[in-house]
Amino acid sequence: MNGGGPTIIGPLPAKTSLQVNGRQLDFVAEPATTLLEALREQCDVTGPKEVCDRAACGGCTVLLDERPVASCMMLALDATDRKITTVEGIGSVDAPDPLQMAMAEFDAMQCGFCTPGVVTAAKALLIQNPRPNLDEIRAALSGNLCRCGTYPNIFNAVLVASGQEPVEEPTDRGRSASGERA
Amino acid sequence: MSQPPRDLRAINAGQSVADHATRLDGLEKATGAARYGRDQIKKDMLWVRLIRCPWGRASLDSLDRDAALATPGVVEVVVSGDAGEYHGDSIGYVVARNRRALERGLQALDATWTRLDCKTGILDDEKARAPMGDPSAETAKAIDDAAFTFEATYSTPVQTHSSLETHGLMIEPDGENSIVHASTQGTFVVADQIGRFLGKPRSKIIIDCEHVGGGFGSKFQIGKEGAAGGLAAKTSGEAVYSFCDREEEHLDTGNRPSLLCKVRLGHDADGTIRGARFETFGGTGVSRRGGGARVPSGRFEFGTLDSPNHQDIQFNAGGPRAMRAPGCPQGAFVEELLIDEIAHRCGLDPLALRRRLDDSERRQRMYDVAADLIGWENRADTGSQTGTMRTGYGIGTCHWGKGRAPAKIEVVVHPDGHLEVRTGTQDIGTGQRTAMAALVAARIGVPLANISVAIGNSMLPAGPASGGSVCTPSTAPAAMAAADLARERILAGVAEREKLDADRLTIDDGVIMEGGRKVIRWEDACRRLSEPVSVTGEFDGQASAHWGEGSSEGVQAARVEVDCETGQIFVRDVIAIQSCGLPLVRKTAESQIMGGVIQGTSYALFEEQVLDPGTGAVLNANFENYKILGSEDCPRIVPVLWRDDQTGVRALGEPPVVPTAAAIANAVFNAIGRPVRDLPLRPDRVLAALAEPMAERVVAAAPRNADLENRA
Repeated sequence: MNGGGPTIIGPLPAKTSLQVNGRQLDFVAEPATTLLEALREQCDVTGPKEVCDRAACGGCTVLLDERPVASCMMLALDATDRKITTVEGIGSVDAPDPLQMAMAEFDAMQCGFCTPGVVTAAKALLIQNPRPNLDEIRAALSGNLCRCGTYPNIFNAVLVASGQEPVEEPTDRGRSASGERA
Repeated sequence: MSQPPRDLRAINAGQSVADHATRLDGLEKATGAARYGRDQIKKDMLWVRLIRCPWGRASLDSLDRDAALATPGVVEVVVSGDAGEYHGDSIGYVVARNRRALERGLQALDATWTRLDCKTGILDDEKARAPMGDPSAETAKAIDDAAFTFEATYSTPVQTHSSLETHGLMIEPDGENSIVHASTQGTFVVADQIGRFLGKPRSKIIIDCEHVGGGFGSKFQIGKEGAAGGLAAKTSGEAVYSFCDREEEHLDTGNRPSLLCKVRLGHDADGTIRGARFETFGGTGVSRRGGGARVPSGRFEFGTLDSPNHQDIQFNAGGPRAMRAPGCPQGAFVEELLIDEIAHRCGLDPLALRRRLDDSERRQRMYDVAADLIGWENRADTGSQTGTMRTGYGIGTCHWGKGRAPAKIEVVVHPDGHLEVRTGTQDIGTGQRTAMAALVAARIGVPLANISVAIGNSMLPAGPASGGSVCTPSTAPAAMAAADLARERILAGVAEREKLDADRLTIDDGVIMEGGRKVIRWEDACRRLSEPVSVTGEFDGQASAHWGEGSSEGVQAARVEVDCETGQIFVRDVIAIQSCGLPLVRKTAESQIMGGVIQGTSYALFEEQVLDPGTGAVLNANFENYKILGSEDCPRIVPVLWRDDQTGVRALGEPPVVPTAAAIANAVFNAIGRPVRDLPLRPDRVLAALAEPMAERVVAAAPRNADLENRA
């Protein structure tokens, strides 16, 4: 503290507090620590993933007062007075959010490493727009890369989580593909 | 799930062992509870980062090791080399107490390098620039005897695996043991490799890879990052975290190698190919091998062939590693576009020509379904369209084998009726854990809810790595054998107590029946057990009924729109028909096919590692400039599980990635009337193609659909 002027923090590690998923988490870290590093390395909140570390992939997406941000691109210090929600705060295995249930039902994941970011970005969309159409879903998730290739299933999960019908694909025409049944 | 099952993709209904099963770890993944190797973070662990060469080729001039060691938090600096042969080549590593100290330590090293001349691609080698060699006398005669000759050159880029979880591992001491949390496709490969660096016998090493964030062929070996982590753990005796960052992931963890392919062939007016010479050059970076491409594939009749004529070309870049159907997508792109070019020259429908040149009976039937589902009848003649937006249709094909390796699966029957499936093999996202559970549940006759799976740990029964299309085909017979043993064991007890003939007992949805009569519930039968019963099923690696003979075939059809003002390609639909043998879990099987199509579409349109020809530096080792397909680019995909009469379990990870880029390239050719012979199909290449004359025809086009009418 330097009476009267702005508070100076750092360069040495400083005590920091974050409001994460309804809990206050205190830790000591250098002011250069990003929100993602703080969550993963200081707070043991590992749902947000470090994939590209420069906001190109969406793997680290968290909600800041219900808006999605790339947690790798902001400092933890800039988030101290904000409400932070990670994928863990959206729902848990025992009490999942309908979106998370739909993600599982539609197999909207393979390796699952992008999934926390996808769920968080999709949740942000649904908060803003409770019944998004397919184009709006595509646009809202355009910052979330999935290498295994599960986008169509993600779209259906978001549609169903918002009370809409999944996109049907053209099928059957009266027979199975190879003319055989199991 | 609580909702009634939705019958999306009804074409695939009723074919799999578990039609409505969902991924067992789906909720864990969707809630962030799934913990990956990279999530194994401890406050007091050491961080490791390799010291890497910044240029294509360079010698180290100076490096301030003392300054790095004097940096607070830096505990070790190991320098073992003084030159780099490619951007990302390593000469040592730094170990520090935390991420910031590591970054400051690497900066304090202040490495200075002298940049040296380097080669950056296949065409830097004069062998690849030389004119085509003469075909053998026999092939030369076949080409000369044909009515027309055709020559073309095709190329494909370096594609990086781009796993979202980067390569690496976290090692923590646990008494005398070391627990290694690895991001790997091979639990037991890591177990065998890491001991040398850790300085520990295999018996003191436990590998954990319960969740793995993507593996497409590059995550078998522990890599330099794993070796450095092992050494640092040995030296320090502390927990060590050694993962690549995104840049390192693109520089030095393998790739699908680039390809240059030159073709000369002779064909007749009806599209019959009389003879052909293929020359292929694979770009292997600093590796001596691994650049092979499967072209021609053997799927089409090329007459008298002069092939293979393959050379691996070395230059100053990171070397290849196996990537999902190694050598095949690049080969299919060349071969399938070539077939379409011949068809166009002869005025033929390319599907009709394929039907003539392809002797696979299964693919012949797949062609019908693919044409039907994509709407092939709406396809305009190649080059016939005008205007800005032009639509194209294209076909690609594949064939595939599968591998086999010894595998064990343990099933533990608990006295409460719960079944635990135990397998050390990894689930890299293929759905391996769900497949094993579904198979055991169905084979015994109990609901899937009765099953849990322990997977991805070297203390569990051994199984194969996820590669070479080995894993599911080899573990499935073992799981079936274990399920049969568990079932027999419980039924024998019931038969003895109830004085019944065990052979007449069946289990249906958790109820043990004799004829139509209920005898006892599975749970109640198990309650008689005094302790859990463990049985182990084994697959010995030899062909058997459950492993299944035969081959996999695939046909994909794509519909694209091309914006002829901007050169941008929009892939609208992909029909992906794939031999699947006996599908275990329908949803995960469909996901694997869709994933293959999406990676193939990404390969067709976007992916390309770019090296600066002057310095050899990789210019796009990141996700901003190395573009992979995103949600806005994703086509509508119809995955079709094609079972036929195949009884064995077949692999679905690799084959669906093979035909996609080929089908898209053909659709683009159909739309714009000029072939784009280089991947990726970038807008500038489309515009350059459009500036060329329309592709040549040597035979007038047959009346539209004449061939289809003839066939009917």
